[in-house]
Amino acid sequence: MNGKRILSIATAGFLLLPTLAFASGCGEEKPIRLRVYSWEEYIDEGGEDSYVYDEIDGMIHDDYKAWNLQTFGSEVDESAPSLLNDFERWYEHKYGTPITVEYSTFGTNEDMYNQLKLGDTYDLICPSEYMIMKLAAENMLVPYPESFFDQENEDNHYARNVSPFIDNVFTSHTVTVTDESGNQTDHLWRDYAAGYMWGTTGMIYNPETADEDDLINWNVMLNKSYQNEVTTKDNVRDSYFVGLAILYEEELLSLRSLHESGNLSDEEYTNKIAEIMNRTDEQSVQGVQEILLSMKDNLYGFETDTGKSDLVKGIISLNFAWSGDAVYAIDLAEEEDVILKYFVPQECANLWFDGWVMPKDENRTEETVQAAHAFVNFLSMPYNAIRNMYYIGYTSAIASDEVLEYIDYMYGIEEGDEGVPYDLSYFFGYDAEIVTYEDQLSRQLFAQYPPEDVMLRCSVMDYFDTETYERINELWAQVKGAELDAWAIAVICVSIVAITAFFLLIKFGNKIDFFRTKPKKGYVKVKQEPYRKDVL
Amino acid sequence: MKRLRFSRKTLGIPYAVFLLFFVVIPMLVIVFYAFTDQENHFSVMNFAKFFSDPTKLSTIVYSLVIALITTVCCLVIAYPVALILARSKMKKKSVILMLFVTPMWINFVLRVNAIRELLNWIGLLGEANYFNTILGMVYDFLPFMILPLYNTLVKIDNSLYEASADLGGNAFTTFTRVTLPLSMPGIMSGITMVFLPSMTNYVVSDMLGNSKITIIGKFIETYFGSDWHMGSMIALILLIVVFTSTMLTGGFQSEENVRGANL
Repeated sequence: MNGKRILSIATAGFLLLPTLAFASGCGEEKPIRLRVYSWEEYIDEGGEDSYVYDEIDGMIHDDYKAWNLQTFGSEVDESAPSLLNDFERWYEHKYGTPITVEYSTFGTNEDMYNQLKLGDTYDLICPSEYMIMKLAAENMLVPYPESFFDQENEDNHYARNVSPFIDNVFTSHTVTVTDESGNQTDHLWRDYAAGYMWGTTGMIYNPETADEDDLINWNVMLNKSYQNEVTTKDNVRDSYFVGLAILYEEELLSLRSLHESGNLSDEEYTNKIAEIMNRTDEQSVQGVQEILLSMKDNLYGFETDTGKSDLVKGIISLNFAWSGDAVYAIDLAEEEDVILKYFVPQECANLWFDGWVMPKDENRTEETVQAAHAFVNFLSMPYNAIRNMYYIGYTSAIASDEVLEYIDYMYGIEEGDEGVPYDLSYFFGYDAEIVTYEDQLSRQLFAQYPPEDVMLRCSVMDYFDTETYERINELWAQVKGAELDAWAIAVICVSIVAITAFFLLIKFGNKIDFFRTKPKKGYVKVKQEPYRKDVL
Repeated sequence: MKRLRFSRKTLGIPYAVFLLFFVVIPMLVIVFYAFTDQENHFSVMNFAKFFSDPTKLSTIVYSLVIALITTVCCLVIAYPVALILARSKMKKKSVILMLFVTPMWINFVLRVNAIRELLNWIGLLGEANYFNTILGMVYDFLPFMILPLYNTLVKIDNSLYEASADLGGNAFTTFTRVTLPLSMPGIMSGITMVFLPSMTNYVVSDMLGNSKITIIGKFIETYFGSDWHMGSMIALILLIVVFTSTMLTGGFQSEENVRGANL
């Protein structure tokens, strides 16, 4: 046997090593694998920005430490681990089984949907409301069992702590599920989703450059005095919503005055707004397209995440925003000594939320299902909800005394200061009022927990079915695409053909010399004779 | 015992597998998606829709124009630089060449962000979206033009210039009769490397044109959010445009005279 041969066998053996290691690993107790798929930066990732880290500095209070000891059976971990690590620690402490969370992230609901369609499997995902409806309607989700909502069970933190307001949204809306055999059944949203974060849409503005008298309606986006100073989101749903609000402004405002004069009940008002903001008929789509096209001329641009920093830098003065982003932007601006504010236009706003759902997977074990429910419940523990809120700036669906205390800690007045009362009873389900500074009525507190009258005009925007989605996406393509006149296209096409011809000439017309005027036959053209002089 | 031997054929297998899985099959998938509808039935509707919609046509023509302007600007800027560097007797010319190429080592998004800040500082951001986009593209693709040009120019034998002078050619004649024709492979290679990516590089148009400028790459991305079939059709049409222009600029020539033109 020669040396080379030995070498190749050794190499092969080396390559096989991981397989062997895998085989031998099977003997030990395997931890449960929980595959979680959520938004980027949408959970407390620990470290210096974490609540736990700040808590150690004595920023908040001792209750957290007591709770931590009780829950984890150990002191607060000073290294401020991520909430995922804490979940693994908690799960093993509580149930005695090791667990590993495989956490992956997505950037848009559509990306997530495509991944699922391509066959990726997860145990828990966290899409937005319309995507939850779409997944449910396509029978891709596993419902939560009735026992998950049993408030008697002390481990059901979600059922015990979820805000009655959110629970009401989840139990007052239904989605029609079509199963494999074509049967259609109506299900409550609550059957499929457990709320995580929620919020509204509105606009952040810089009060120094934007006149608050102009900031009443969505049509400020078309206001010429803010030309090149407004941005909106570079996505079809948010833009379509704004377009609808501008298109049906009159109707929405007349509903508002009817409601104010007492001729329309709260519920009717909310429902009527929801009806308008879900119109997708041909006429509405056409109208929205025209509005968005004229809006495009007025806008500074479409953005996905540059809007916040552009606002802080003073490049723009108005920016369409989700409430959680608004909180983040206002905080960010404060560090730069810029004051930003948030408002929700008078007509309506979008009520959005993200929730935990379980996609179907035939190979999932009962153990994993339990662990997934435990994960949702773990995130719904008030202090964990606070940790997430503190870290990402969005508003948790969880309402409890601890959360109220946290809001008061964040936005309440210092002793001796003057303040205004701020009522949050609708969210907590009991008399909940804090006293806050007046400027918070248009800043972080307002963005994070809008008052009840704002919530009345917030509506959920349903998912578009395939046919509608195609039409609305086509609208978006028309809005975003280039607009050239027919003559311009013609001129450009002709010039492109000309250039093509030119290249063809160079390639195949070797005989044609562009740079030489051929001398007559028998003559040689001599231009210069510099060397002759030297020779002579 | 037979000795383990690799023939040229066996050594080629990994590459063939690579090409099959990462080039041929994906292309077939694109073709499949382009000519099917939502129910996966054969359909030429996407094709018809593309050519009957002025917006889509405008967008592709528009991208062509932006790419064309970018390429011409790159060529005009890069040629003198490459020529000076190649012909100069500077000892440290490789350092200067390096300086032109160094930005390529810095993350692309970072560079575009830096330009964004710069444009904002000058006050052009949001005011001149088209100019900004083209500026960003030219800045970004300039090294891809300089390098092939420099490589071809530096390889032109000095004796050719002497011969030209011997035969009575002045500087201009030498340039048009010797330098330019001999650097043609470099020019073509540079054009291919700049023209094609500048039709699809929508990060630049998004960041510097505030997403108000939609080039064909962005369009494809938008469609892939909802309608993979239309998205694939646009991608296929773009592929054909790219293929044609590569053929025209001689990118598929395998003759030896394409010297040093490839990066």
